[in-house]
Formats: sequence, C-alpha cells, structure tokens
Amino acid sequence: MASTLSPPARAHVELLERVWEERKGVFGWVTTVDHKRIGLMYLFASMAFFAAGGVEALLIRTQLIGPQQHLLSPETYDEIFTMHGITMIFLVVIPMTTGAFGNYLVPLMIGARDMAFPRMNAVSFWIFLGSGVFLYVALATGQAPNAGWFDYVPLASKQFDPGTNIDFYGYGLIFNGIASTATAINIIVTIFKLRAPGMSLNRMPLFCYAFLAAAFSLVFALPALTLATIFLELDRQLGFHFYDAGFGGDPLLWQNLFWIFGHPEVYIIILPAFGIATSIIPTFVHRRMVMFPMVALAELLVAFLGFGVWAHHMFAVGLPTLVTVYFAATSLIIVIPSAIQLFAWITTILTGKPEFTTPLLWIIGFIVFFIIGGLSGVTVAAIPFDQQVNASYYIVAHFHFVIFGGAVFPILGGLYYWFPKVTGRMYHEGVGKLSFWLSFIGTLVTFFPMHIAGIEGMPRRIYTYTAASGWTTLNALESAGAYLLAAGLLLVIVNLAVSLFKGAPAGADPWGGDTLEWATSSPPPAYNYAVIPTVSSAYPMWDEEDRERDRRRLERGQGLLARGHETPGTTVQDALLDEVLAMPPSSPLPALVGAVVFAGFIALVLAHFLIAAGIGGLAAALLVAWHVPPRGEKPAAEGGAR
Amino acid sequence: MSGAHPDAAGGRELSLAPQRPSLAPTPAAAGRVASRRRALPSGMWGMALFLGAESMLFAGLISSYFYLDFRATRWPPAGARLPETLIPSILTAVLVTTSVPVALAARRAIAGRRAATMALLGLAAFVQSGYLAYQLHDLVDQVHSLPPQGSAYASAYIALLGLHHAHVLLGVLLDLGMLFWLALSGLSDYRVTGVRCVALYWHVVNVIAVAVLLTELTPVL
Repeated sequence: MASTLSPPARAHVELLERVWEERKGVFGWVTTVDHKRIGLMYLFASMAFFAAGGVEALLIRTQLIGPQQHLLSPETYDEIFTMHGITMIFLVVIPMTTGAFGNYLVPLMIGARDMAFPRMNAVSFWIFLGSGVFLYVALATGQAPNAGWFDYVPLASKQFDPGTNIDFYGYGLIFNGIASTATAINIIVTIFKLRAPGMSLNRMPLFCYAFLAAAFSLVFALPALTLATIFLELDRQLGFHFYDAGFGGDPLLWQNLFWIFGHPEVYIIILPAFGIATSIIPTFVHRRMVMFPMVALAELLVAFLGFGVWAHHMFAVGLPTLVTVYFAATSLIIVIPSAIQLFAWITTILTGKPEFTTPLLWIIGFIVFFIIGGLSGVTVAAIPFDQQVNASYYIVAHFHFVIFGGAVFPILGGLYYWFPKVTGRMYHEGVGKLSFWLSFIGTLVTFFPMHIAGIEGMPRRIYTYTAASGWTTLNALESAGAYLLAAGLLLVIVNLAVSLFKGAPAGADPWGGDTLEWATSSPPPAYNYAVIPTVSSAYPMWDEEDRERDRRRLERGQGLLARGHETPGTTVQDALLDEVLAMPPSSPLPALVGAVVFAGFIALVLAHFLIAAGIGGLAAALLVAWHVPPRGEKPAAEGGAR
Repeated sequence: MSGAHPDAAGGRELSLAPQRPSLAPTPAAAGRVASRRRALPSGMWGMALFLGAESMLFAGLISSYFYLDFRATRWPPAGARLPETLIPSILTAVLVTTSVPVALAARRAIAGRRAATMALLGLAAFVQSGYLAYQLHDLVDQVHSLPPQGSAYASAYIALLGLHHAHVLLGVLLDLGMLFWLALSGLSDYRVTGVRCVALYWHVVNVIAVAVLLTELTPVL
C-alpha cells in the first residue's frame, strides 16, 4: 500500500505514524492501550490456558480409556475435571471471544481507532490474566477447585469441602468477573459511540451485533454469579447461612443464582461464534448474508431469551411441575431464533458460490455440530427424557457439541480467517484443511459415543468404572478420538506458528472480504485507518466509490485527525459525526492495578481480610491517580464546557 | 442545511450531519462539536452500564431475600428481633435528598462553574459520609443483636445492609476523588463527564437504598 501512495498522502501517513508511535519491547507491551496489542495478549494468554485445559481433558480421557485405571486418584480427578471446565469457559472461550476477537476486530470493523475506554481495556486484560494465574496457583499448590464447574452446595460448603479449594473458585470467579464485565461494557460503548460516520445501526456488521448481544448478556448475567459466590464465601468464611438448610437457607438458591448466570453464559459463549460465522460465510460464498435484519434481530433475541431458561438445568431437583413446564417451553422457544440463523447460514451457502477454504470448512463443521448439539438440546428440553439422562454422559455429549463444536470451531475458523490480517502472512491451506479434518473426525469420535454411554447409564464425573458396566469400548473410542482431536489442534498451532515466519505475504485484502477491517493494511497500523472511513451500506468493502473517496481524502488530508490519539465519536443510532474523541496514551497504571488486585485476592484467599482491605485502598488510590489530566489538556473557560 | 458536507456534493449522501463541520479540522472546531454533541459522552454510557450490572447484583440479592422468605415456614424466625422502622427510614430519606445537590453539581459543571460544582459536591459528600458513618456504627450493633451466623434471615438482612453500605462507601470515594481533581486541575470536558457520572452513580445508589429499605421492612409492614 505504502509504495502506491502519492507524496501528499505519504506525508499524511508519516504524520500519523509519528503521532501513534508505540514504545518498543516488553515495556511497550506492558504499558500498551492499543486494542490490537491487548487483543493479541488476550489471544496468547487464552491459548496458553487452552493448552492447559486441553492437557486436563487428555488426562481425563486417559484415566477413562479403560476400566479401573489409576493414572489419577479420585481426588485429583475431581480437581482436574473441575479445572478443565473452569478453564475452558472462563479462561479460554470468554477471553478468546470478547477479549481477543472482540478487542482486535470490533474497532477495526466499525472504522474506529481504538476501544471507547483504552486504559480500562488494558486493565481488564491484566485482571483476566491475574484471575487465570490465581486459579492455576490453586492447581499448582494442590488446592484447585474440586466440586465441578457449577460447584453445587452443599458439596461445596465448608462442612464437606473444608480446604481452600472452593475459596479459590469463589474468589477466582469474582476476580475473573471484574475483567469480563469491564470488557463487555467497553465493547458496548465502543459499538454505540465509535462507529465510523455513516455506519448507522442497520449498516453495522452482523459480527458486531453478535458481540453486542454477548456483551449485554455478560453485563447483566455476571452479577448473579458474583452474588452467588459472595454468598458462598460469606457462608464459608464468616458462617452465614444462605445455603444451609439447617438454618433456614436453601441449597437451591445456589442453583438458581448460578444458572441465572449459567444459561446466558451459554449464549455469551456461542453468540461471538455466530458472529464469526456470519463474517466468514459471505466472504467465501461471495454473496451477502440472506435475511440480514432477521439474523441481527435473532442474535439479540437469543441473548434476551437466554435469561429466561435457567431452570432447565434443574429439571431433576424437584421443582413444581408448572415451573418445569414453563422452562421447558421457553427452552423450546429459543430454538426459533437459533434456527433463523442456522437457516440463514445454510441458505447463504447454498445460494452462493462457495469456495471451500479452511475458514469456511471450520464454519461448516460448526454448523454440523451445532445441529447435532441443538437437536440433543431439544431432547433434553423434554422433561421426562431429561430426568432419565440428567447427570449422565448424554449431557456431556450435548454441551461439548454445543460448546466445542459450536463455539471453538468458529474460533479456530476465525483464527485462520483473520490470520492474514493480523500477521500480514498467509497460512498453509493444505495443512489447514488437514487440521480441520483431523479435528472434525476427532470431535465426532470423542463426543458422539458419549450420547450412547449416557443413555446406557454412565454418570458424569466418575473417575473410573468396572468392566462389567459394558462402557469399555465406548470409552476407549472416546479416548482415541480425543488424541486425534489433540493432533488436529496441534496442527492448527503448528500451521499458524510456521506461517507467521514463512507464509506468503497476504496484502490488505486477500479474501475480498466485505467488512472494513480489510480496508487497512495487514497488519493494521497503530492508528488503524489513515483517514476515518465513511460508510454507506452494511458491506463497506464492496462499496468501491466509498473506498475511492477515502483515498482522495487521504490526498487532501481531510479527516486525518492527527492532533493526538483521536477518533470520531458518532451518534448512537444514525452514526452522525458528533465529536472528536481524544484517546489516552500508553500507561503503566493498568498493569499495576492488575498486580495490586491480584495481591488483594491472594490476601482474601489466605483469609487476611485487613490486608486485603488495605490493598483495596491502594487500588482505589491508583484509580484516582488514573485520572491525572493528560498533558496539554486545557480546562474549559468558565461558563462554556458544553 | 447550511454548509453541506463536501463529500455529499458528488455521489451518494454520506449520512454525515450536514450542519456540522467536516471531521473537525482544528481544536476550536473540535470544541464546537463537543459543545453541540447530541449523544451522551462515552463515560456516561460506561457508568450507566456499570450501574446496570450493580442493579442486577441488588436485584439478585433482593430476590434471594424473598426466595428464602417464601421458602421459610417462619420469616423472620422465632426469636429474631424485628427491624427498626423509624431511624432507617429517616436515614434513607436523608441519603436520597443528596441526589439534589449532586444533580445540581452536574448542571453547574456543564455550565462550567467549578466553584459551585465543588461546593455542591462537597455538601453531598459531607452528608453522605455522615450517613455512612452512622450506618456503619449501627451495623456493628445490628451484627451483635442479630448475628448473621444465627439464621438465613439474619444472613440476608446483614448482607443486604452491608452490600449497600459498600456502594455508599464507593460513592463517597468517587466524590472525594472527583473533588481532589477538580481542586487540582480545573473543569475540563473530561471532568464535566466525570461529575455527571458521579451524579448518575448516586441517583442509582439512592434508588437502590429505597428498594433495600422496603425489602428489610417487609416483616413489619
């Protein structure tokens, strides 16, 4: 791109390069507030946790490969499967979607130069990292959470689980929730306020709708989990009785609060994946998404309805029939917006000219698995059937198809799809396809037999079984599938890692994509866009006149916004230009706040409450210092700020 | 429709506000754009969403209170002392009235009046700190007369009080931090948004105070 610029345009680009220059080296990464660098740090951190969670999965499958194995003791097995669940949900999928993909791509797709709150963005990364390290400190010291990822009381109460295992769970999830809430608020405000001029809500990419819906769900669902864990820690540390039936408490209160969070959580996991699918499909079938408004509304509707189905996780606990029937009905209703999206994807593929590249293959794999997981979901929404297979491997099969097939497959497809944008290099197509097929077959072989094992009565979470149970063959098959799957995933990493150094140059837009991120160079510069793009349809990259107009404005230096880290703020609905926002420069404070909060949670888990309060005061002082006026900011004259 | 956007002349309409200067080329123009801005500042959106999350936290807590209430055969349990009505009601009323100086402080800030903003915010902070000091003192007494280790009712009652006091404490810290920076660095556009955010925070915390009070008074209503 740079070679084709005329002298005035090049001068303008050089000005921006100076204004947005970042510190080099490790210190540059620690102090960065650039959404792309933060997104990459989220990606690397969540990949590391993905590896850890994957190793835990392989340990589980190796333990279950045959009857009466002794690789793991029953106690260790409890810790491993609990950590596998917590890791994959809180440390992999949420940070990978909202953190890595959301951070990196949302500002690029809406034509902004950063997130709405860049420093809060950095602090949410450091807090997320702190919470992950916190939970793995627990595993390293043999005190890992061990009551399952949904941590039911009374098993998780002090009486039956007296160690610090559950305290690590309680504090760790509150800790993690701070980061997720901050990221979600950031994504919503960014989407509402920072869209490029002309990108009214009806022209916003479906990817952003999906992330908007997921972010809203996070903001409003996480408090229920935070509250449940606050109650749990009050019970465990200070002798409160929220969950203690002997003193008028109720263990079902935990289940209700947990699933009021836990079911929206499923959509928090899968909605970003829907967004990735709706980005990849139009690019590789070379046509627009069919039913654009319906898909956008369906994405929002799924998130909304997700708040009304939580008790379908509790059909077997003895709720009144009327309640269970209500929740069975809402669970079936949610099929409608899900099916709208599914039919929209399938129709788009069938009526386009599909080009079966690696990213599209992962999306097709996702559609297949989402259908399998969705259908088994319909079966467990039927109360009598659910009561039969509850807490069996059938459920494990169901949610792994939905979460692994439904959320992780699009994430992997997305990694391939945006790899050229992020690195400026192409991945290896052949190896990419091989990695897909290995993972696809591996997923089927690992998780499909679990349906049968579940129907045959194999319960979840058992650390071993006898040969007489008749589950030996199925389990051996599942374990073999797990190794195959691991090989496929390893191949993804190898492909991307080697391509990072050896891949062919990608150019700005190797796919002919439809959304704005393909307008800028690969990798994007710190300021994202030399001139702020303007948008006149939902497919800005296919509007050649608009992009030509951007190039002419770069020549004239119009809309350069180079007096500092600047980006336009627009109105929420119509995206009319409203103001020019000054973004903060890099700062060491976010990482420092993250470190202080980490120390505070360590003090909490060691039950040093006064020290924790002191550290909390320090964090508050840091947050006041945070608002030091930026250099060169002039107070408004008396009588006229706005 | 004065001064059409240059880009609107040829080709398609670009949905840029036609009466606005194009992408504010100078600081003065940027100031004019900010002064006429139609959408709420990003900070206000951020605070509103944060308060949405906090409201969910209290909604969950109040729901948990009633959940345990409806599941219990006797609520409050036999022997537990009933909540006081008069003093908590007066205190809550006092806290709620601080919404007035806080709202006025936000208006003064928008008008660019630093001294008036600080005076009003200081007044609110003074009353709110007094409220908090009294309530914390009272909480210690309540924990002795109604120990949360005694019953689920006491647990829910004390947790409801404690969590709301924590939010009042955070609000007082926000007041003080805001006053600190107003005294030190004047009233920039950034600070104006800050004062408006603090005001919004207090309005929501005050509404929640009423909800918390009514919840706790249900046994004697």
